[in-house]
Amino acid sequence: MVEREEAVLKKSGVIFVLFFSLIPVFWMLIISLSQSPDFLVNGEMVLTLKNYFDIIARHNLHFLDFLKNSIIVAGISSLFSTLIAALAGYAVSRIRFRGRMVFMILVLTLSMFPQICIIGYLYKFMSRLGWINSYPGLILPYIAWSLPLGLWIMLSYFSQIPRELDEAAMVDGANRFQILIRVILPVALPGFLSTILLLFIFSFNEFLFALMLTTDFHSQTVPVGIALFQGLHGELPWGYIMSASTISCLPVIIIALLFQRQIIQGLTRGAVK
Amino acid sequence: MAELRLEKVTKIFDHKIYGAKEITFQAKDKEFIVLVGPSGCGKTTTLRLIAGLEQLTSGNIFIDNECIDKLSPGERNVAMVFQNYALYPHMNVYDNMAFALKMRGYDSDEIEKRVKNAADILGLTSFLKRKPAKLSGGQRQRVALGRAIVREPRLFLFDEPLSNLDATLRVQMRTELARIHKRLSATIIYVTHDQVEAMTLGQKIIVLKDGEVQQIADPLTLYNNPDNKFVAGFIGSPPMNFIRGKIENNNGEAIFVHPPLKLKLKKRFLSSAGKEVELGIRPDDFSEDGLEIEIIVDLIQPMGNEKYIYGHCEGITLCARIPPDLYPEPEESFKLKVPQDKIYLFDAQTEKRL
Repeated sequence: MVEREEAVLKKSGVIFVLFFSLIPVFWMLIISLSQSPDFLVNGEMVLTLKNYFDIIARHNLHFLDFLKNSIIVAGISSLFSTLIAALAGYAVSRIRFRGRMVFMILVLTLSMFPQICIIGYLYKFMSRLGWINSYPGLILPYIAWSLPLGLWIMLSYFSQIPRELDEAAMVDGANRFQILIRVILPVALPGFLSTILLLFIFSFNEFLFALMLTTDFHSQTVPVGIALFQGLHGELPWGYIMSASTISCLPVIIIALLFQRQIIQGLTRGAVK
Repeated sequence: MAELRLEKVTKIFDHKIYGAKEITFQAKDKEFIVLVGPSGCGKTTTLRLIAGLEQLTSGNIFIDNECIDKLSPGERNVAMVFQNYALYPHMNVYDNMAFALKMRGYDSDEIEKRVKNAADILGLTSFLKRKPAKLSGGQRQRVALGRAIVREPRLFLFDEPLSNLDATLRVQMRTELARIHKRLSATIIYVTHDQVEAMTLGQKIIVLKDGEVQQIADPLTLYNNPDNKFVAGFIGSPPMNFIRGKIENNNGEAIFVHPPLKLKLKKRFLSSAGKEVELGIRPDDFSEDGLEIEIIVDLIQPMGNEKYIYGHCEGITLCARIPPDLYPEPEESFKLKVPQDKIYLFDAQTEKRL
């Protein structure tokens, strides 16, 4: 009996959480598919794909530009950030130096400062470089900003890999770099992939830097682009906003589905031996 | 193959703890050397110093008269087998064995030849495509061995390679190791805490304690002529019995006294009269006649072909091997006899053999 009650409780909990978190998504889908966002007011609910066709086909909305910018910027910055994090994480996990933990906590602390702290200076910096409204102008700050998270994740993976593996490879004649590339990274591959994915989502969602450092569709990313959507007469085009948001979810969902196995393996690996 | 020489090799951790203290020994070509001692005695540290995984504090290490102190582990051309195997989990058996050869730039034909040959020696031929996770403990052990063999290194270093195996497999692998040593005619430095492994495998055994060499000798010498109390107590199972007492001169006869127990000693111990000593008797050395020690039996362990009895006498506990056809009863007294020449005496202060 107790088991049944437990199962019922568990299920209702799951349903509640799912409901709670999926309602906005559902709302987004409904509005993106309806002809008029005011369907609750006038009671006319007409399902249509018009919004989707519009944002894809109408060039003056620039949605595909935003999407391209986002994927390029988030892709490059997550890849580089993870690579740097892997190098740094390997060094920190293998070399015992004074203040090792202090260093890691400092990194964590830095990442907790609100972005708004540096945005003013960052804007000046990028203007001087002439990088406002350019990919590097976003990619570099994103790498710096996502690095602490990446470093911590990579460190936790590397710390689980026994040192004997390094030592065995050393005796086998590999140097430190070869050990990292041919032994440690392949063993930590699930961790490496899930770090890239997490940092991709991190950068893909970023809003403030992108808002400040870009000016038009040449480098504006999806969150900024959608936020700045405007209708012909200044009204908010909810249908476009929602259908653009729906499409923006796709890259992340596709990546998550493709690497599902690695991510789950990455999250649970080492927990149970 | 090669000769290895350690000269006053010392390793100090954190400026104060001795991992190894002036360790000096020599391994001849094709010799099987065992470093043995309790945990924390410095045996693994010594091995890691030879491999180059730890930096020397002072002293020198030579292979074939070439000083290797400054060389990286890879440049030393030694192979090491780790306690937990340290197989590369993402590579199959073949690639695990081929890795070191690839790192050294061998061509693929040579690599294949060597790996196939090693797999043949170790009976791994049908497992070459498997990942380590799909292998049993014994097979992983073999792969770790194979990884060392394919290199044809100057020196093999083994760090407690059998300690993760179950008892049956350990005995089996022990025999196999001895066979492989013969076949490869390799110089091997082998670390273990298991004195049975040390005695059965080693041609020369180095007993370590607290980072210091206690004795270097072949197995039988170590057993029959231990230099000090530590070696006497460490080698042999069950361990040697020790009785604290004094040597007295009784009208020109040397007598060991642990009141009221008195044992007559050989004449040569007269010179040590008055000394506090530890008297040692191996459980296996009790026999039909000799000096008598009467004990109260506490426990009997029949082993089939022999029996071990544990008993006490005057505050001492003693263990003795007796023939299986004797049937002492617990709580009863039993007379143990030990030949005079099977008695070991150690200085109570210095613990050196008298």
